[in-house]
Amino acid sequence: MSEAEAISRAQQGDGQCFESLYSFHKRRVYSLCLRMTGNTAEAEDLTQEAFLQLYRKITTFRGESAFSTWLHRLAVNVVLMHLRKKGLPEISLQEALEPAEEDGPKKDIGAHDQVLNGSIDRVNLERAIETLPPGYRIIFVLHDVEGYEHNEIAEMMGCSIGNSKSQLHKARMKLRDLLKASRAERAAAKR
Amino acid sequence: MNCAEFQSDLPLIIDSGSSPTHDEHLRACDVCRDLVNDLRYIADQAKLLVTMEEPSPRVWNGIEERLKLEGLVKPMIKSTATRRPMHRAAEPYK
Repeated sequence: MSEAEAISRAQQGDGQCFESLYSFHKRRVYSLCLRMTGNTAEAEDLTQEAFLQLYRKITTFRGESAFSTWLHRLAVNVVLMHLRKKGLPEISLQEALEPAEEDGPKKDIGAHDQVLNGSIDRVNLERAIETLPPGYRIIFVLHDVEGYEHNEIAEMMGCSIGNSKSQLHKARMKLRDLLKASRAERAAAKR
Repeated sequence: MNCAEFQSDLPLIIDSGSSPTHDEHLRACDVCRDLVNDLRYIADQAKLLVTMEEPSPRVWNGIEERLKLEGLVKPMIKSTATRRPMHRAAEPYK
């Protein structure tokens, strides 16, 4: 059975096809929820909610975009709504206009550090992403992991494209610091 | 262009291309060049993160229950043919 057929049957209430769609897409939706929240219980609840919303709205899917894209965007909206309800700080114009001191230029002239290239593995990167502040993590996951463009993120987050770029940059800078610290710890542990 | 000016522009240029002035600074400055290389490397590695995690069975159990409660699933029609119960894991479609 093709995906198109599974969708068509699910639109008519076929429970087996609902389950097939869930089996095929659950990992990507769950991974997205987990990366954006950093919490397995929340991620599971949000995955459940995303698929429930999918099934409630499935009769409106007309095939104008890929099904996975439609589902993915729905899942992102579910997570964002959840985070807003929790009152997590979203991107603020104030934050973008008044960068923290730690965001100042790197001035290690003449004492440049070892570059990261080749030294990151998936586990360390995932761990570092989990420790990012929520606002940075959301933007980083949406842009660098999930591949959304800044104009799409700006629309989803209700911010400007400039803010989206600024927050992404801060997220990457923070990850750089975290990954370098992690690498230094591992090197010290080996001695 | 000095490091402060270059790094101030970095959020806007790193993914969308830089000017000759920025490129000139990059050629001359080890610190900023290492910084740009690191940030691009992080972005590239992020793209390679695969979906490894899987939700526990309780997620589908919860969905199944709600689908039935909300009447989104048609009742199974009894027939002489052997039917696989909905609660068993379905094979993903090919």
